[in-house]
Amino acid sequence: MKDKIFGVLQRVGRSFMLPIALLPVAGLLLGIGSSFTNPTTIETYHLGKVIYEGGVLYTVLDIMSKTGSAVFDNLALLFAMGVAIGMAKKEKEVAALSGAISYLVMNTAISVMIDAKGGVEAMAANSTTQVLGITTLQMGVFGGIIVGLGVAALHNRFYKVELPQVLSFFGGTRFVPIVCTVAYLLVGIGMFFIWPVVQLGISKLGALVLSSGYAGTWIYGILERALIPFGLHHVFYMPFWQTELGGSMVIDGNTVTGAQNIFFAELASKSTDVFSVSATRFMSGKFPFMIFGLPAAALAMYRAARPEKKKVVGSLLLSAALTSMITGITEPLEFTFLFVAPAMYAVHCVLAGLSYMLMHILNVGVGMTFSGGAIDLTLFGILQGNAKTHWIWIVVVGLIYAVVYYFVFYFMITKLNLMTPGREADDVEPKLYRRADMQDKKQGAGAVAAKAEDIVSALILTGLGGKTNISDLDCCATRLRVTVADSDKVDDKALKESGASGVIHKGSGVQVIYGPKVSVIKSNLEDFLDTPYSDHPEELLGGADNTADNSEKQAERSENAQNASAETEIIGAHMNGKAIKLSEVEDDVFSQEILGKGAAIEPSEGKLYAPCGGKIDSVFDTKHAVNMVSAGGAEVLMHVGIDTVKLGGKYFEAHVSDGQEVKKGDLLLTFDIEQIKAAGYKVTTPMMICNTDDYAAVEQLKEGETAAGENIIKITK
Amino acid sequence: MKEFNYTITDEIGIHARPAGMLAKKAKAFESSVTIAKGEKEAALTKLMAVMALGVKHGDTVTVKAEGADEEAAIAEIKKFFEENL
Repeated sequence: MKDKIFGVLQRVGRSFMLPIALLPVAGLLLGIGSSFTNPTTIETYHLGKVIYEGGVLYTVLDIMSKTGSAVFDNLALLFAMGVAIGMAKKEKEVAALSGAISYLVMNTAISVMIDAKGGVEAMAANSTTQVLGITTLQMGVFGGIIVGLGVAALHNRFYKVELPQVLSFFGGTRFVPIVCTVAYLLVGIGMFFIWPVVQLGISKLGALVLSSGYAGTWIYGILERALIPFGLHHVFYMPFWQTELGGSMVIDGNTVTGAQNIFFAELASKSTDVFSVSATRFMSGKFPFMIFGLPAAALAMYRAARPEKKKVVGSLLLSAALTSMITGITEPLEFTFLFVAPAMYAVHCVLAGLSYMLMHILNVGVGMTFSGGAIDLTLFGILQGNAKTHWIWIVVVGLIYAVVYYFVFYFMITKLNLMTPGREADDVEPKLYRRADMQDKKQGAGAVAAKAEDIVSALILTGLGGKTNISDLDCCATRLRVTVADSDKVDDKALKESGASGVIHKGSGVQVIYGPKVSVIKSNLEDFLDTPYSDHPEELLGGADNTADNSEKQAERSENAQNASAETEIIGAHMNGKAIKLSEVEDDVFSQEILGKGAAIEPSEGKLYAPCGGKIDSVFDTKHAVNMVSAGGAEVLMHVGIDTVKLGGKYFEAHVSDGQEVKKGDLLLTFDIEQIKAAGYKVTTPMMICNTDDYAAVEQLKEGETAAGENIIKITK
Repeated sequence: MKEFNYTITDEIGIHARPAGMLAKKAKAFESSVTIAKGEKEAALTKLMAVMALGVKHGDTVTVKAEGADEEAAIAEIKKFFEENL
């Protein structure tokens, strides 16, 4: 269960990368644009002559600022769509559309609920916001994420749904936006009741901060960071910056309330000798970890990435680190590790809190327009002079922070093996993933009998002249529209057998008419094309000769089905490579079948896959062998290499753990063939049925070149 | 019933190879032979269960045999442990 949650979190984290990649650019636009169009900045530096409203430079900066904030203001929508895309298994464009519409629906539902209650005035202060012109609850990216996750779940559940014939036009992918709209209408109503309770809790915390001095500043800092992923930080810090909660002060005869207002009033006042730390304590703490700490963390992540991934990860991390340093926009960087390594984010929160406290203790009085990057440090710290701001402490503490962040992050990543960018397991090849997926539902999990829809897909594929003959595949309301390389290879008979009511040829274009359920057929066919069976669809049909008499074919098919019944179990190949007999393995313990009967493979790549569905019994400490029990009860031992136990785990990496459920085709181990060979060991990998005694027969089905997943062992009770 | 305790001196412990050899020995006898490490116990003929015990260097295991030829079984298996493990 823990592994499963972790796996999901990793996928969520990865799905964030698409919107996150946009943030550095948006951050720079916003940071530079807003700093130099800020009236206080212009006034303080007497830039009014160059930058003035209506002037060219001002307009350009204003465009930068506004377009940058357009991205940030709609971040939740980007996440709603991005997460839906990332988490959807197939037909991702439909998930994106559903994510967008669901987000609109949810917020609109909330908006109407707010109106019904009496409008924004009736809600707690700072609890509402405008999203795409809709007045709704301030939910930050969290709002987008719950939409993205929910939509992806609904999408994966329903994108192949088949509805009754009359409604079948609305089936398949078309059903997804429909069901999502209904679901998020309800979620919106629910959120209207749930979210204000959360917000109330946050503002209560604010009161606590005020009453506890330095420790209060620390707590403030921790909470401010911890709330970012939930978009609740605004609810939390805005009152400090903008209301009495952040203190009030008389400056040049005027009463000013709110920490940020106090700072800017002092900035504008000629009588300020030293900035009031009681106000800046809610701001200055950002500088050390944003300019120094987080970029050092980025370096640690870069250093911990696998060598071959460094280049790709480097550009992401570098741009995110620069954004944090220059503009103080930290989300691009924080979101790269927040979901894959929540523990690291927790540490980050604590350190960030300490930074606020240290700034408070050291009397640092540097304010900011909206965040703590180098731009604001320069404008409101350095240029104001150390006497007024004590900004030098930011650099001192910052340098220490850089060291601390680097080592803490590097240590955590490597010791806890956290999957920060560039360290994730290789994306399981889509081919294998989907095949495993497909077999998920099959009765014996390890059995090879194909599902009905795969038989249909195989028939269609055969009818279209095989995988290589298809150059384009699409569908309209009722027809499968295919462009083929050679139209002579198209076999109308097979297509009709698959359920088509007609076939139309136009040059290289073929239209196969199925009726409204065609979108489901197309999805299934696309799934099928990703499986290894699609290379030889005729095999699945029970005979190599696709013009064979229909009844004969069906007879063979039913025989196949029987083969895969409870009496027998088929185990797939555990790796790509050359299959040999167990007796040919150069080691008595295997060749004499002491560990059971089975088959062996000389692998061509360093990957071991689950040969059937089932449960991992144990992964050897030395990670060179895996025991698993198939769904049918066969005890399968896969042993990578001969005598490789002596390597003590070197060159091996395990991707599963004891007790984990796996699907056929899941990646179990990866290992470095070259290094193992260089160390003097053979990589021949026998796979044995340890409880061979429980069966009447264990037979090897295949020798020679073999692809992972191909039938290799047949077990008969 | 006969039994003996044995502390593993082999560097690697009971991995696939010795587990296979032990199972082969155990199958040759009529008696039921078990191996236990701490609370966990497995029939010596059940390869996967034996491997799952994860017996390593320095671990002490208890081997028990019960049946008509228990004496011979224990003697033979003990000999195997002493020579190989």
